Amino acid sequence: MSARPLHRRYGVRLAFRYGIAALLVIVFCFPVYWLFIISFKTPDEIFSFPPVWYPASIQFANYAVLFKDGDAATVGNSLILASVSTFFAMIFGTIAAYSLVRFKTGGENLAVWIISQRMMPPVAIVFPVFLLYVWLGWVDSYGGLILLYTAFSLPYVIWMMRGYIEDIPIELEESALVDGCTRWEVLWKVVLPMARSGLFATAVFTFIFAWNDFIFALVLTRTEVTTYTVQVTHYFGGQSNFWAKIAAMSVLGTIPVFITVAIMQRFLVRGISMGAVKG
Amino acid sequence: MTAAVHPDRNFKHWLLSPAIFLLLLIGLFPLFYSLIVSFMRIDMMETDTSFAWLYNYKNLFEDARLWWSLAHTALITAIALPIELLLGLAMAYLFLEKMPGRQIFISLLVLPTIISPIVAGATWRLLFDNKYGPINQIISWFAGERVNALWTINPALVYPAIIFCEIWQWTPFMFLILLAALSNVDKSQTEAAEIDGARFIRTFRYIVLPAIWPVMAIAILIRGLDLFRIFDIIWALTKGGPGTRTETISIYAYSQGFKQFETSYTAAIAFLVVFILTVICTWAIRRMGLAK
Amino acid sequence: MVTRRDLGKIGIGAGLASALQIRAAQAADAAATAVEAAKKYSGQTITIVWEAGLQSLDPLNFSGPKWKELTGIEVKVVEVPVAEMFTKILQDFKSGAGAYDALNVIPSWMPDLANAGALEVLDPYVDQFGFRDELQKIAPTYRDNQMMVNGKIYGFPDDGDVFVMYYRTDVLNDPAIQKAYKDKYGADMPVPPTSWKDFDQVGALITEVSGGKIYGAAFFREAGYGNFMFQERFRNEGGKFFDAETMKATINSEAGVKVFTDWLAENKFAPAGVEQWGFVENLAAFLQGQTAMTLSWPPYGRWAASYGTDQEAMNWVPKSTIAGKVGYAMTPGGHPQLAAGFCLSVSSTSKNKEAAYLFIQWLNSESVSLERVKLPYALRDPFRTSHFTDPGYAALWPEAKDYLKALQDGANNGLLDMSLLQTDKYEEVLRQSVSKLWGGEDPKAILDTAAAEWDAITEKIGTDKQKAVYTDWAAKSGAYPKM
Repeated sequence: MSARPLHRRYGVRLAFRYGIAALLVIVFCFPVYWLFIISFKTPDEIFSFPPVWYPASIQFANYAVLFKDGDAATVGNSLILASVSTFFAMIFGTIAAYSLVRFKTGGENLAVWIISQRMMPPVAIVFPVFLLYVWLGWVDSYGGLILLYTAFSLPYVIWMMRGYIEDIPIELEESALVDGCTRWEVLWKVVLPMARSGLFATAVFTFIFAWNDFIFALVLTRTEVTTYTVQVTHYFGGQSNFWAKIAAMSVLGTIPVFITVAIMQRFLVRGISMGAVKG
Repeated sequence: MTAAVHPDRNFKHWLLSPAIFLLLLIGLFPLFYSLIVSFMRIDMMETDTSFAWLYNYKNLFEDARLWWSLAHTALITAIALPIELLLGLAMAYLFLEKMPGRQIFISLLVLPTIISPIVAGATWRLLFDNKYGPINQIISWFAGERVNALWTINPALVYPAIIFCEIWQWTPFMFLILLAALSNVDKSQTEAAEIDGARFIRTFRYIVLPAIWPVMAIAILIRGLDLFRIFDIIWALTKGGPGTRTETISIYAYSQGFKQFETSYTAAIAFLVVFILTVICTWAIRRMGLAK
Repeated sequence: MVTRRDLGKIGIGAGLASALQIRAAQAADAAATAVEAAKKYSGQTITIVWEAGLQSLDPLNFSGPKWKELTGIEVKVVEVPVAEMFTKILQDFKSGAGAYDALNVIPSWMPDLANAGALEVLDPYVDQFGFRDELQKIAPTYRDNQMMVNGKIYGFPDDGDVFVMYYRTDVLNDPAIQKAYKDKYGADMPVPPTSWKDFDQVGALITEVSGGKIYGAAFFREAGYGNFMFQERFRNEGGKFFDAETMKATINSEAGVKVFTDWLAENKFAPAGVEQWGFVENLAAFLQGQTAMTLSWPPYGRWAASYGTDQEAMNWVPKSTIAGKVGYAMTPGGHPQLAAGFCLSVSSTSKNKEAAYLFIQWLNSESVSLERVKLPYALRDPFRTSHFTDPGYAALWPEAKDYLKALQDGANNGLLDMSLLQTDKYEEVLRQSVSKLWGGEDPKAILDTAAAEWDAITEKIGTDKQKAVYTDWAAKSGAYPKM
């Protein structure tokens, strides 16, 4: 007797949940949609009043201009900077985290000091770094920015990887040592494979941090290594806001991240949760 | 004691050395360098490297624009952070139970967070455009007349615009973290939500919240720090305007350092910021019980 | 076998030969000289900083490719928004990166950049490559005011920027509107209005009579432009930036407050949202026939006449619906701002100064510059006497002759951008002030704050030092209107 109303209540609740979920998706995805369609609009459609919600036809002229003028190359710069710095940050960060976890190097104080580096606001870092780079002649170089992104990501990587490494049973490492592995081999053959999903999740976020950076790139790049985030802002102001270029450039810079996240998705949610839980 | 905890000393230090070297090079050394600069009087035209000691720091206290920028930063943080937290929590509860297509919803909702903040700002600037943007259009439908709100200029609207954009971008981040945390809580406690409101609140207060608090505290800390350094979104939306009304500490420091070329003074601002953050973080970490 | 002595001879011979060539070339035009001399850098790349967006279409679509074809030198254009150009150039200089070879410099910044050492002195190059004669043929206003700092050449004036008033002849000559004006003000409607009082009356009336179908006027109101608009209007109202004796800022004088108050009043008859209008928004409204009058740089006039808007590069410009219905006049008050403008300079940290120099000489030369100011999509405006009188230009569209005359009149009566030590700081205060005005603050309070900020800047730079610079600047013919 009571089963049916309960069942119905469940049905209503589910419908309600879907309704809210759909609403949320609309609200959160609409801006992304708007950005994408502007990039496909013709100038007349962009400057039409009232605004047009979907273009009459998909056209790629706004993108063609970016490729013709070479602006699209800035996405390539972002790609190089973000992936190389992620690579180094993952290596240095993971082995450092391993040292902190397994050998308690430096004790709790060192770990806290490292994490506290994450709290520095970029604007406080960027100024001294600018002065340093001027002195060293590293402004507008790939090396300079890669170094900076690597260093800036390190606290995060160490923090996250510490949690993952703690989860690896120490017995596995011990038996590998007994089997005659060197310590490097233990690290390479036991620890890294065990921490694989954590490595991927951390790498995705490290990549995104570097990819999304604006202020470091704004200050430290000129012509050679302009990133796409800086390029986007070049279309603001001046004689006007170049809506078409802003939108097309933004989409170009957003797609690689969407792809990365889509591929890495299964590591992602787990990565966030475990990192935070373990933090 | 097992072998694993007694390595040769060199090995464990080798493992740490690249990371420590980089952190010292990029973190500590420049800070030390700029501490010295902050005691001098270097600006756009003058390169006076004699020591003026606390000259710049004294000026900090008389600089109303600096304190206003700190106040603006605090205002944005104080409004955006709680909203992101509560909204994120509500969303986490909504998706806590299994439902078909849940993963797709979650993936779509996470999109704003992975977009570059500068692009998020640019996108909202397009949306907020008084004439060619859809927001005024939508409001006009509801209002029944043409509404012409100047979101990036009108002093009454700039903060809502910035905070809206900020919430849009970072609520999904809160949501993901809290969803993960809630998933780890004993199911019988979170599902009790169905029974009745009063019991839900009690359970949440005494069982769920303590369970998710460590994660939540870190999420708050991370977001709080990020909000304190907010730069990109404002740069794209208002550049600190109208006038200096939405100038945050990061925007102000940038404009002093890289537009006005007040080298020494900016170094002093950077130190003030580091000092404030250290105090707040130490307090927060203690207060939130994060210190182990 | 070639001995060392032979090598020496060859060297001397080559030197002599090139010296002779150059001497011969002096008689020829400066563009050809530059091309000849630049050929030895074939295969290299030079970087030039250009204003982002429309301005950059010139080097991207025309001059860059053409230079490459002639000399084999690749031109890389770095697009920077105008608000960040000064910053970026100075940052590059301070960082010693040497990323930029040639520069676009707004004349009012030239003293600062030159004093900082960021710009190369061009005199030796000018002599070596025989450019003096052609430099002399630049229109006097630009030549005398925008080329030199402390007696040395640091840049070639390359853009005859001046504000022009554009008005719709069909609207302002509409009998219904003229009658309404006479009914309301008891006088004949001045077409075009020559004072701000008249302008505001005409503007308000058009909006009123048409019921908003066509607005009386629209302006640049966005803060970056507001800086120029304020400087012009303030001086036309009789304002002086500083007290010549004490060097105290006097922008909070009655003239300043009047400008701000008038602006607020004008916004009421301008289209809604005009507060954030920049170049393109204002242009779109004018071309689409939504506004009857506006003030802007010269390109509006060309595009309004539909000159060149069929080009692919121009597809972002809304189609002009007003060709043939546009009149050109001096801005109200009769002293338009020679707003911004651009000079071509060479960066002192460039690793390839000579190639960079040769490129800008070629760009700036009589023959090439004429082509550039006639580019339909260009934003470079006539700046040489020969441009104003070029029969080819005057025949580009039916009213082109009037247009050129308006430009030349504007140049002759124009007001220079304020140019002091650290000008950008003073301008930044003005931009902030305009931004505050749209934020709803009180005009007088804004300007009092601005004046106090100016005084603080002056004091920091050194009052006496700045006073000397200001006195020099104020003595120039275009500093203040000749009353």
